[in-house]
Amino acid sequence: MALRQIWARMTRLDRLIVVSVAFLCLLLFIGIGLSRPGETVEVYRDGELVFRAPLQEERTVPLEGSLGTTSLMIEGGTARIVDSPCPYKVCVGMGAIDHSGEIIACVPNRLLVRVVSQDESGKEPGYDLLSR
Amino acid sequence: MSRLATTILLFGFLLFILFWRLDEPSGPLSRTRMLMGTVVEIRVDDPEPERFRDAVTAAFDEMARIERLMSLHLAKSEVSRISRAGEPVEVSAETATVLRTALKVSVASDGAFNPGLGRLIRLWGFTDGEPRVPSKMEIEEALVGIGPESLTLEDGKLFKSDRSITIDLGGVAKGYAIDRAVEMLSAAGVKHASVNAGGDLRLLGDRDGTPWRIGIQHPRKKDAVLATLSVADRAVVTSGDYERFFEQAGRRYHHILDPYTGYPAERCQEVTVVADSAALADALATAAFVLGPEKGLELLQKTEKVEGLIVAADGQVVFTSGLQEIVQWP
Amino acid sequence: MTSSAVDPVRLAGERRRIFLALFSALAIALHALEFLLPSPVPWFRLGFANIFALLALFLYDGRAAWSVNMVRIVVASLFLGTFFSPRFFLSLSGGILATLAMTTSRKLGCEKIGPVGVSVLGACGHSVGQLLCAWWLIVRHDGVWFLLPPLLLIALVTGIINGFVADALLQRLRRHPPFEDIADGAHSDV
Repeated sequence: MALRQIWARMTRLDRLIVVSVAFLCLLLFIGIGLSRPGETVEVYRDGELVFRAPLQEERTVPLEGSLGTTSLMIEGGTARIVDSPCPYKVCVGMGAIDHSGEIIACVPNRLLVRVVSQDESGKEPGYDLLSR
Repeated sequence: MSRLATTILLFGFLLFILFWRLDEPSGPLSRTRMLMGTVVEIRVDDPEPERFRDAVTAAFDEMARIERLMSLHLAKSEVSRISRAGEPVEVSAETATVLRTALKVSVASDGAFNPGLGRLIRLWGFTDGEPRVPSKMEIEEALVGIGPESLTLEDGKLFKSDRSITIDLGGVAKGYAIDRAVEMLSAAGVKHASVNAGGDLRLLGDRDGTPWRIGIQHPRKKDAVLATLSVADRAVVTSGDYERFFEQAGRRYHHILDPYTGYPAERCQEVTVVADSAALADALATAAFVLGPEKGLELLQKTEKVEGLIVAADGQVVFTSGLQEIVQWP
Repeated sequence: MTSSAVDPVRLAGERRRIFLALFSALAIALHALEFLLPSPVPWFRLGFANIFALLALFLYDGRAAWSVNMVRIVVASLFLGTFFSPRFFLSLSGGILATLAMTTSRKLGCEKIGPVGVSVLGACGHSVGQLLCAWWLIVRHDGVWFLLPPLLLIALVTGIINGFVADALLQRLRRHPPFEDIADGAHSDV
């Protein structure tokens, strides 16, 4: 059969390439699976997603809002706003968030930071909505 | 051949898993917008939620309209206009409805909730300007003539006993906006939805046959839930001292002001009220927070079709008798 | 040979040009067809168009593969109206890295590497190229690299499929008179 012929025509190097790429995929999948417990930070401006990153990547991100630049710091698996051009700095005072569904809002600068869980089925918060 | 076939099947299977995972239905329709100084999220649960996309936009627009009508920050708003007025002023039917709810709670709570507190709130800078602790004299001045009888609504006209009384509908206006959004969704044919304005909620219907499970924020543990309520078709509003506050000279000052003292109310950590409308729930939550665990609970108990839970300043939890049926403790 | 009156070198050159034009045209058609098919994942492409670059690489040389792929990307984007859109740059950077991976692997591997190996490396190059472009031009944050493993997996599968198809086509094409004088596996730069 033709397929068998082609299989036979694959050189040893071809097979080595196929196997090593598959192995690389597997390693990368495992690596990512280990490094990410499933939480991601998302930033919205006027309902539009402007930034998205896993909570595990430590960094400080400048976010452009309508008033100016708000600095979001991702550190130690939590996200918080460290500086903001808004007058009352409520967003800075809201502290760090790290749980799925938590939000920091900077209303004057029209930015919304939220933590979302990658695998929704993995962790059930036990409620649908939070009254606070 | 069999080895090749196995390999191809395996890859096919992997691809299938990948596609299947990415093809999962998108779930409920959820939209957020910044309104009334907070984040409002509207969520519609439906097998085909996309068909209500316009209804959700319309609900948001309705909330924005109410914000323009009742905001204290916008000089053009009706509330700003009646705040400035000296003589009895005509108010629109809509504002009158909200005022009536506010005044009803104001009278029932003996002034613990007060819609005429605008001057004091402005003095503390919780709505505009840098928050600060005002001097005793400033506070006493702001409290003059703002008792529950200082505002009356008759024949669509608002009578103020003193020209300088400034109206702040605050949470009641927000609650009314939530109620209107739910009414708009309901009119559009939505059966299951939630409107969440910064933790003030109203639910439309249940959640696919089971009640919504509403977590109540623990007042002192940021990541914890105090209790869970099972509710459908109702509003759940929580007022807490942790929501908005500032610190000055090592002391914490939160945003729920006691109209009797002019300082932040100190008897409670948190109050949650379940009612048919978010406007009423909001006013009652504020009133009960100021009144404290004993009188506050009395107020909630005597108000019909209202349940509630109060966390006193010492952390003790009291709740209305009817709450027992819908509450689950962790 | 069909005509002895024509200079064989010139004939080979003309044939090469005509066949590359044909490969390019077919590649453009497949590229457009794939663009129009609904895709389950945003960047998921079967990359059948790359088969013709593989044919050009194995029948002729690296330069032939470059011309087929570059002509395909530019002309197809003109047809589809995506020229100079973000999508075009994604396609272009993917194409450049894919062709680079294919030609170098062919050059280094010589006879030891077959169409499947070259195709798999090319497909991987394509994924990496697209992600590089996406990271550099569009999102500018490291989160996009989380897409690498699934993209690489897709690349592996599509690379194998394309390699097999190219191999089958090569077998048939080499029996045709215009390619008979091109020895299997040999690739001389003209």
